Amino acid sequence: MSILRRRWLRSAAIASAVVGAIAAETARRRDALEPTAAFTGWWLLGTLAFLMLFQLRKKIAAPPAGSASLWMRGHLLAGFAALPLLLLHAPWRLPNGALEIAVAALFAAAWCSGVLGFYWTRTLPRRLSSVGEEVLLEHVPRLRGQIRDRASAAILEGVRLSGDATLGEFYRQRLQPYFDSAPRRTDRLFPSPRLRKTLLAELTHVARYLSDQERSAAEQLFALVRQRDAVDYHEALQWRLRAWLVVHLALTWPLLMAAGLHAWLAYVFAGDGAAGGSLP
Amino acid sequence: MADREVAVARPRRWAEPLDDRMRDVDVDRLLRLEPFCRIDPADFPSFLPLRGILRNDARIRRLRPGELIFREGDYGSSVYLILHGHVRVVLDRLPPAALGRELPRPQGWLATIARLATRSRFPEVRRQAGPNGGSSTAAAPPRDAPRRGLFVADLPAVLDASHTAVLSAGEFFGESAALTRTPRAVTAYSDGETTLLELRWQGLRDLMQRTRVIRDHVEAVYRRNSLTVHLRETPFLAQLPPEALQEVADAADFQAYGRFDWHESFDPRARSRSGGWIEDEPLIVEEGGAADAVLLVRSGFARLSRRVGNGHYTLAYLGRGEACGWSETVASLEQGRPVPRRASLRAVGYVDVVSIPAEALARHVLPFLGPAERRSLADGQAAASPESVAALVANGTSAAGAPHEQELLEFLVERRLINGRQAMAIDLDRCTRCDDCVVACAAVHDNNPRFVRQGPRHGPLQIAHACMHCVDPVCMIGCPTGAIGRDEATGVVRINDPTCIGCGSCATSCPYDNIRMVEIRTPAGELWIDEATRQPLLKAAKCDLCADLPGGPACQNACPHDALVRLDLSRVDRVAAWKHRP
Repeated sequence: MSILRRRWLRSAAIASAVVGAIAAETARRRDALEPTAAFTGWWLLGTLAFLMLFQLRKKIAAPPAGSASLWMRGHLLAGFAALPLLLLHAPWRLPNGALEIAVAALFAAAWCSGVLGFYWTRTLPRRLSSVGEEVLLEHVPRLRGQIRDRASAAILEGVRLSGDATLGEFYRQRLQPYFDSAPRRTDRLFPSPRLRKTLLAELTHVARYLSDQERSAAEQLFALVRQRDAVDYHEALQWRLRAWLVVHLALTWPLLMAAGLHAWLAYVFAGDGAAGGSLP
Repeated sequence: MADREVAVARPRRWAEPLDDRMRDVDVDRLLRLEPFCRIDPADFPSFLPLRGILRNDARIRRLRPGELIFREGDYGSSVYLILHGHVRVVLDRLPPAALGRELPRPQGWLATIARLATRSRFPEVRRQAGPNGGSSTAAAPPRDAPRRGLFVADLPAVLDASHTAVLSAGEFFGESAALTRTPRAVTAYSDGETTLLELRWQGLRDLMQRTRVIRDHVEAVYRRNSLTVHLRETPFLAQLPPEALQEVADAADFQAYGRFDWHESFDPRARSRSGGWIEDEPLIVEEGGAADAVLLVRSGFARLSRRVGNGHYTLAYLGRGEACGWSETVASLEQGRPVPRRASLRAVGYVDVVSIPAEALARHVLPFLGPAERRSLADGQAAASPESVAALVANGTSAAGAPHEQELLEFLVERRLINGRQAMAIDLDRCTRCDDCVVACAAVHDNNPRFVRQGPRHGPLQIAHACMHCVDPVCMIGCPTGAIGRDEATGVVRINDPTCIGCGSCATSCPYDNIRMVEIRTPAGELWIDEATRQPLLKAAKCDLCADLPGGPACQNACPHDALVRLDLSRVDRVAAWKHRP
C-alpha cells in the first residue's frame, strides 16, 4: 500500500473516530435528557470555520502550517464529516424560518458543490492530459489566432498553387467561421466532439473533388481542425474547473456568515440555559 | 503600473572583482611566473586584456598552517596555483565532523512572513540596477567566497588515518570541479604558511580559450589528478592495496568524449522527433567489438544501448562511478578469447571515461575480489544480454521489469533530462491547472513566477520549465561575472542578482529553456534602462528552490493535489514509482 493511500486511510479513520465520538456523546446527552443542539452546533460551526481556513492557507505562499495537500486532505475529510454532523445537529427534519432555510440551502449548495468539485478534480485532469498538447488557459486566445493564421496561410497557398477554388469555397463557407470565432457558450459548458467530427467528415467528403495541391492543403486543415478542437476542449474543462472553484468559494462565505448569525441568534434567544448548551 | 524609466549605466563585467585588493604590482608579479610568463598578451582582445583577467578574476590568498582551501563535497569553480609553500590533499573520505560542514539555515517563519507582507506591488523590483542592487524577495546571493580561518578539526588524527598527497609551488589543483562542474573530490588545506593564486572559472575559461599554454597545462593536470582520485573512489577498486591500485592507475587509460560545452550543439526540439540522432552522440565503445577493457564513467553521463532493427534501444544510462563491459571482459579472460561487447556506450554530453585493460584487471583487480562481488558486478549488466532486449521490446517492459519504465528512460535520456537533480515534475492526471503553484512561486519571487507550467511530456508526466539544478549546470559556463553559481554546501544553482549584468549567456546556454531574462523596476515601479541604448536592463531569473524559505519549494507546498514534486531525474526508478503511484 502506498504512503499516500496509507495517509488517506489514517486520516479517514481519525475523522470517522471523531464523528463517532461526537455521535456517541450526543446520544448519551439525549438519553440523559440533556440538550444537544449547542454541542453539535458548535462542532458543526467549528467544522465550517476549519473548511474556510483552507482558503486562507492558500493565500500564504510560505506557510508555517503544512503543505496545501495536507490541508486539502483535512478539507475533504472535514467536508464529508460536515454532513453527519448536520444530521446530528438537525436530525431528519426540514428547516423552518427564513434564516434556517437559508442556512440549510447554503449548506446543501456548498456541500453538493464540494462533492461535485471532488469528482471533477479527480476526473477532469485525466481527460485534459489525454487530449493533445498541454495548453495554458491564458494562451488560448493566442493559440486560436495562430491556428487561424496557419489555416489561412495553408488555404491561400493551396489555392495559389492549384488555381482551383473548390477547397477555397469550402473553407470560406465552413471552416473560416469555425477558425475565426470562439466556441459557443454551450460548447464551453458541455464540450462535444460533434462539430469537429462534422467538419472533418465534410472535409473528407470534399477531398474527392480536390486537386493534388488542394489535397495537400486539406491535410493541413485536417490537422488544424483537430488542434483547434483540442484547444477548445482544454479551455472548456479548465474554465469549468476554475468556475467551479469560484462558485464553491462564493457559497462558503455566505454559509459561514449565515451559520454564525444562526448560532448568535440561537444564543440570544435561548434564555438563561444558553450558556449551558440548551439551544438552538 | 508606472511606465516611467530611470536611465543608468549598464552593469559591466568586473564591476565586482573577485578581490578588490588586487593591485597592478600583484599582476606584474604573476606575469613573471610560470605559466603566465609564457602567455602572449597580444592573444587577448582589447576588451578582455590578460591583465584585466588576472586583476579581476584572480586573487592571492595567504593561508595559515592547516587552513582549509576546499572540502570534499563542496561545490566550487575556482582553480588554484600554489605560489609559495605546500598544499596537502586528503585523498580519503573524511568524517563530516572533521570537515565542519554546515548547511545554510533558512529564514525563520516570522521573517519570511514579514518579507512577503512588505514586498513591492511591482514585479522584479531592484533597489539599484548595479552591484549594490538586489531583488526585494530574492534569496541571499551565492558567492564562491573563501572561508577564512576554517581549519581541519583534529589535524594530527586526520593525517595519521588518511592517504594524503603534497603539492608544491607551481602546481595547479582544483581544476576537476572547475572544468566538470562537479563537487570537489578531495579536501585540500595548507601545509604550513602558503600563498595561493585563486582563479575563478570565468578567468580560467578565458585563459583556456585564448592560450594553448594554459589549456594544455590545465587539461594535463586534470587527466593526471582525476585518474588517481577516481580509481580510489570506485567501489570495486577501493579495497585494493596501494601498490595494486598504482599498477591499475599506470595501466589505465583516461579519455574524454564529447565537449565541456555540449549544450551548444544540443537541440531539445530536434530530440523530440525520432531519428538517427543517437548516432551523433560520440561513440565510446561499439556493440560487437572485442571486450578488452572495463570502462568506468568518471564524470558525465553515457548511454548504454543495443541496436534493434534500424534503431537503438537504451538499456541504461551510466553515471559517475558506474562500470561497463565487466561481464564480457571477465568472460574474455576466462575463455581465453575475445568476447564481443553486448552493448554500445555513447557519451551523452560530456563524459570522462577510465578504461582498465583486461590484463590489468586479471593481474591486479580480480585476485582481490570475492565471488559475491564478481557476481554483483556481472548482475549489474545482465540486462544487456541479447535475449532480454528482444523480450523487452516485445513485452514493453524494461530492464528492471517495471512496465513502461523503458519508455520513460528513453524520454529522460533523449532530452538529457537525466541531468536534473531537482526537476519540477507535474502529474497531469492530477493537476487541476489551478495555478496555485505559479501564484505561490510569484509571491516569493518578486511577483514573477520563476517557472513556466509547460514542458516536455511523457504521458501524464510533465517536466516543467523550471531550473533542474543540474548535475552538469552548463548555464554556468559562459557567465562573464560568475553571477550564476552553485551554493557551496547544497549544490543549488542560484543567481547572484547584484553581479548579474543581464547578458543572457546563462539563458541561452540552458538546454532546457529554464532561465528567463526579466526587465527590472525601481521600487516605484519605473523601468531601469540603459542610459546608452535606452533599452530596459535585464536580469536572469530562475528557480532557486526557495532555498532560503523554511519548508522548501513554495510550488510543491502549494499544490493541493500532490500533483507537483521536485524529483531527481537521474533516479529513473524513483521517477517511475512517483509516476505510477496509486
